[in-house]
Amino acid sequence: MDTSPSKKLVEMRDIVKSFPGVLANDHVNFTLYRGEIHALLGENGAGKTTLMNILYGLYRPDEGKILVRGKPVKIGSPADALHLGIGMVHQHFKLIPPHTVVENVILGLKSPRFKLDVGRAAHEISDLASRYGWKINPFARIWQLSAGEKQMVEILKVLYHGADILILDEPTSVLTPQETRGLFESLKKMREEGKGIVFITHKLEEVFAVGNRVTVMRKGRVVATMSMEKATREELARLMVGRPVLFRLEKESVEPGRPVLQLEDVHALGEKGVPALRGITLIVREREVLGIAGVTGNGQLELAEVATGLRKVTHGRVVVDGVDVTNKGPRAFIEKGIAYIPAERQREGLVIGMNVAENLVLRYYRYEPFSRRAVINWRMVDENAEKLVRKFEIVTPNVRETTRHLSGGNQQKVVVARELGGRPGGKTPRLVVAMYPTRGLDVGATEYVRKTLLRYREMGSAIFLVSEDLEEIFQLSDRIAVIFEGQIMGVVRPSETSYEEVGLMMAGAKRLEEIPA
Amino acid sequence: MVTRWVSVAVSIGAVLLAVFVTAMLFWAIGRDPIEAYAVIVHVFVDPGLLGESMARGVPIVLATLGLIVAFRMNFWNIGAEGQIYLGMFAATGVVLWGAASHMLPPALMMPTMVVTAFSVGGIWGLIPAFLRAKLQVNEVLTTLMMNYIAMLFVDYLVYGPWKDPHGHGFPLTIPFPDYALIPLIPGTTITSGVIACVVVAILVYYVLSRTKLGYEIRVVGESASAARYAGISYMQVALLGMLISAGLAGLGGLSIVSGIIGRLRPRASPGYGYTAIIVAFLSELNPWIAVPAGLIFGGLVTAGEALQAALRIPFSGIQVFQALIFLFVITGEFLKRYSLEVSWGRR
Repeated sequence: MDTSPSKKLVEMRDIVKSFPGVLANDHVNFTLYRGEIHALLGENGAGKTTLMNILYGLYRPDEGKILVRGKPVKIGSPADALHLGIGMVHQHFKLIPPHTVVENVILGLKSPRFKLDVGRAAHEISDLASRYGWKINPFARIWQLSAGEKQMVEILKVLYHGADILILDEPTSVLTPQETRGLFESLKKMREEGKGIVFITHKLEEVFAVGNRVTVMRKGRVVATMSMEKATREELARLMVGRPVLFRLEKESVEPGRPVLQLEDVHALGEKGVPALRGITLIVREREVLGIAGVTGNGQLELAEVATGLRKVTHGRVVVDGVDVTNKGPRAFIEKGIAYIPAERQREGLVIGMNVAENLVLRYYRYEPFSRRAVINWRMVDENAEKLVRKFEIVTPNVRETTRHLSGGNQQKVVVARELGGRPGGKTPRLVVAMYPTRGLDVGATEYVRKTLLRYREMGSAIFLVSEDLEEIFQLSDRIAVIFEGQIMGVVRPSETSYEEVGLMMAGAKRLEEIPA
Repeated sequence: MVTRWVSVAVSIGAVLLAVFVTAMLFWAIGRDPIEAYAVIVHVFVDPGLLGESMARGVPIVLATLGLIVAFRMNFWNIGAEGQIYLGMFAATGVVLWGAASHMLPPALMMPTMVVTAFSVGGIWGLIPAFLRAKLQVNEVLTTLMMNYIAMLFVDYLVYGPWKDPHGHGFPLTIPFPDYALIPLIPGTTITSGVIACVVVAILVYYVLSRTKLGYEIRVVGESASAARYAGISYMQVALLGMLISAGLAGLGGLSIVSGIIGRLRPRASPGYGYTAIIVAFLSELNPWIAVPAGLIFGGLVTAGEALQAALRIPFSGIQVFQALIFLFVITGEFLKRYSLEVSWGRR
């Protein structure tokens, strides 16, 4: 790769950006060359996204200089950034679902013409797409597209606006392994055309799959920039976390026991009243982790909610410990010992405006000893909180701290502590439904949550793990069920399958005839 | 983060700004603003006027305490005014029935009025709560529209079946007997309704902070999805919360007919239920602050009447003043939240 100064697309010098209480970027230097894919690696909260949001004009740096193609620039808004040829694709799509592909792509375009020439734009978009080996119907509506296709539209939008500096923020989190590979191929083509690509990620494999160079950030600082030839997996992990990382998780082999949760031909509706689960039959046993793999939005949320009694089934049976609890409501499930770590901890699993002690009884406040008749016993609530904070190593000044002020990892620990250790009387949960339990957590907290889940498995709980992270599913599960469009495509053992096979099932391209229980 | 002090400072600043802009308005219609504010201040120092102010403050405080319950569960009850009218209707109904039938001993009159006013006001509040919980009907619209129904219903009664036959055709009910009136605190000009306000504030505080229902109300208010996750029935909490909220407004209605007017007449509430919304926000949904804040706003109502008499400033002058306070306070709320957003983007 040519790293002569004339090939410099972007140079960010000594960027400082602070938010109240945090130094998000501490004198950060970053350079992007023409024709490179530059991986920006770091844990959540390391400052990667902040740095790129500065380059994209969403934040203004407190200090530092930005040079684009050798010229110092001030980027006050994304419009300025686009004008300089800088485009960014965010982790969460910013598309308008009821509009068509072409309408989304040309939105915000400063066209000199008064009249929109949609037909021509559609043609140009198709051409642009085919250049990177993509196929897309420009008149399809966004809501009809898969996550992979939506991302394609986001990238097309940026390219159509003429950007040759692309920033992709964790682009693979919504993709199947196959889609990820396709994306990487397209990125390589763009690289050959001389575009510069910044690829934000916290996944090491991806850095090795597409990167030319990598910059590692930790706690707001750049700890290293190197070319990929010189990088090793262990070295990058150490730089990212600040200590050596074990890649293998100790997992004792234990014999599964009696069935805890049985789903029999379960059907349920999704948010918009359309069928989301279409005939699901699954069993989870004591001392067993059943992993649910699938591309987000294929019925995982509905499945987790059926398993926890939050969603009614329209057909089929839900049995817990031999007792039929179909449509008995969430309280019946709570009383049966079903714990639930929901996907959205800040919105669902916690009341972030309330304090830690209050949150630690969120699903149990109505039972003794936390309350009697109509009145809450705050002394018991506080005692419970003190105990759980100690046992689950939650970092908080005190149990009356507002949960909003805790870090993401500690917030998740509050949820985990309550769900695993918070049952009145100190009983272990019978079943733990964990949905994306490590999403958005740093390596340390991730390790902690995974180990804790496995510990409860050994203590006799059944674990029902929904994750978008295949590595996590393979590491933790005793069996993996793959869900696609509300149906189970197959149940496999991690030792007897591959990412390939699971990926094909996730995409609906393969279905196992016989489903072993 | 916005500290408590900044928050209080913003609220005080909002009130001062309202004072200033209202002064400009008085000046613009040719009145001396200093004279006008002298009248307003006088209301709070003259013992007689102070008594009237407190009496007018009582319905505001009671409705505010009710609104605090609703707002804490994120239920936008704009219907305190209507719930007040239902409370007046219920209290007056008890008096008229007692006077006509002689079946109610005087000693039981006030307790019966209290229970009836609370219940009828509360049931009126259950309607929007049920519609919201069952059919997701926006409660702002239902509670607001139901105010007009309640007010016109009372109009109908006092112009029609409840009109005093010896009242020379005026739309008034018979005057209440003494035992149906709220007494003054002995030796003062101040209504004992003020004591009721303090008692209710203690109860509201206790329910919100010590009971399961209060916990549920706060969880529902902070995050509906967390409430669902916790197995809290929105229907149950919304109905109970609104029963309390509207029931307290109903008691506010009782305190108007039994504590200020002594009978029922059309438009007996000059918007106490709306004023209560302002007070609820000014007191930041804190029942302790709501009591003094509500009583002060009662003083502003008295001041409005005094301005009318002394300087021929229309009563709407004082309503403009109240509205400006509210406008500047919600603007201040926005500013507070805006600075919250800034600390949000840490990634």
